[in-house]
Amino acid sequence: MYGDLGNKLVQHAKRTQNLAHLPPYQAEIVRAVTREVRDLDKDVTELLEPFQGSFDPSADQATACTLLVNHLSMRRNKRCLLAYHRTRTDKLEEMVWNGVDVLDLCGQQVRAGDSGGGASHAGTRMSSVDGATSSLSPQEDEYVRQYGDLLAAYKGQWTDIDLTGSLEPPRDLFIDVRVLKDAGEIQTEYGAITLTKNSQFYVRQGDVERLIAQGYLQKLG
Amino acid sequence: MDIDDILREVDPVSYSIPSETRDLQALTRAWVAERSAPELLEWPADGIFERVNERIKKQIEKIEDMTGDMDPKTNFALIVIQTELERFKFLVRSYLRARIAKIDKHTLHYLSNPTLRARLSPTELAYATRHQALLHNHYLSSFLSSFPPQLQNLNDTAGNISMIDSPDLDTAVFIRLLRDALVEGRGTDSDGAIDGKAGDILILRWSSAKSLVESGGAELA
Repeated sequence: MYGDLGNKLVQHAKRTQNLAHLPPYQAEIVRAVTREVRDLDKDVTELLEPFQGSFDPSADQATACTLLVNHLSMRRNKRCLLAYHRTRTDKLEEMVWNGVDVLDLCGQQVRAGDSGGGASHAGTRMSSVDGATSSLSPQEDEYVRQYGDLLAAYKGQWTDIDLTGSLEPPRDLFIDVRVLKDAGEIQTEYGAITLTKNSQFYVRQGDVERLIAQGYLQKLG
Repeated sequence: MDIDDILREVDPVSYSIPSETRDLQALTRAWVAERSAPELLEWPADGIFERVNERIKKQIEKIEDMTGDMDPKTNFALIVIQTELERFKFLVRSYLRARIAKIDKHTLHYLSNPTLRARLSPTELAYATRHQALLHNHYLSSFLSSFPPQLQNLNDTAGNISMIDSPDLDTAVFIRLLRDALVEGRGTDSDGAIDGKAGDILILRWSSAKSLVESGGAELA
C-alpha cells in the first residue's frame, strides 16, 4: 500500500521521542520511502505523457483521481521523512546542548569545570575518529559535528554566562555533591579537588555543573 | 521581597532608582515575558544586554581580585557578590535559552519576512540562518536530493497547507494591567470584555492580549 513505509517511519519517530537514547537510523526504510516517491513520480509523468500538457481533469476523472492519489502519497511520504529526520535531529541537538559526547557515548573524556564550549567540541571531533556509532547515519554524524560548531560559535558570544549551564534557578552558591564515577582532578579557585568515586564534597555549584549534567556527580540535599 | 515588589517599583513614576537596578528590573520583566509569550518577542533595542554583560564581566574581575584575600569580611562580601552574579547569569541564560528554543522550533517562520527577522538579535539571526541551512543540507543529503525537483522545497504552501509551521498565538497567557483599561478577549463560543483596573491579573489569549502588552497597558505575568 502507498504510504505504509512512511507510516513505519512515523512510528519510529514517535517511539524515539520517549526514549532516552537514539535508536538506530532506519536507513533501509528511508531508502524504500524515497524509492516509492520516485516511482510514484515516474508513474505521474507516464500518465501525463499522452496528454502533452493539455490534461483536462473533468474529461478523464479516473486518471485525475490516480494523479491526485499519487501526488498526495508523495507529499505524505515527504512529510513522514521530514518528521522522522527532524525528530532525530532535535534529539541530537538536545544532546549537544547537554554536553553529551554524541559521537562517542561510551569512551567519554572528562573535561573538568568545562566552561569553554570550544574545548569540549574539539574533544568531540577527536574522539569520533575511532568511536564507531552504529545508531547514527553518516549524514547525522556530520550534522552533529556542524551543529556542535554552530552552538560553540553562538555560545562564544556569551562567554561569561555559559549558555549550556543549568536552567534551574540558583539557590546556593555551594552545594554538596557525591561522586558517582571517578572524574579525575578539577581545578577550582580554592585549589584542586580529586573526585574519586563515592567521596563527598562541598563545592561551588558553578565549578561542577557540567559534571553533574554528565552524570559524574550527584547533587545532594 | 518577591517579584511583585520589584515590578511595582519599576513603575515609571519612581525614576530615582539607579540605572543598574532599573536594568535588573527590565531584565527580569523581559525574562518573564519571554517565558510566557507563545511567540518570540522583540529583542530589547536599548542595549540592556551589552550593559548587563559589561557588569557581569566587571563582577567576575572583582571576584578574581578578592579571592586572594583571606580576611573574613572580604570572604563574606565575596559570597554575596558571587551569589548575585550567579543569579544574574541565570536570568540572562534562561532568557536567551527561552528565545533559542522558540527560534529553533519555528526557524523558517521567523526568517520568512523582515518584520519577524527584526525581532532577532544579530547573533540570533546568524544562528537561525545557519541552523536552517544545516537542517536543509541534512535533509538534502539524507533523502531530499533524490526527490523529484518539484518536491524538494521546504516552504511549499500548495493545497492550503503551509509547510512553515508557526507558533500558536491563541494560547493563554497571564497579564497584569498597568493602568485601567477595557480588556477585550476572544473566546471559543463568544467574546468577552471587562473593565480592568490597574493591578488586575487576567488570563486570556495571547492574540487578544498582544496589543495591550505592546502599548504598555499591561505586562505578561
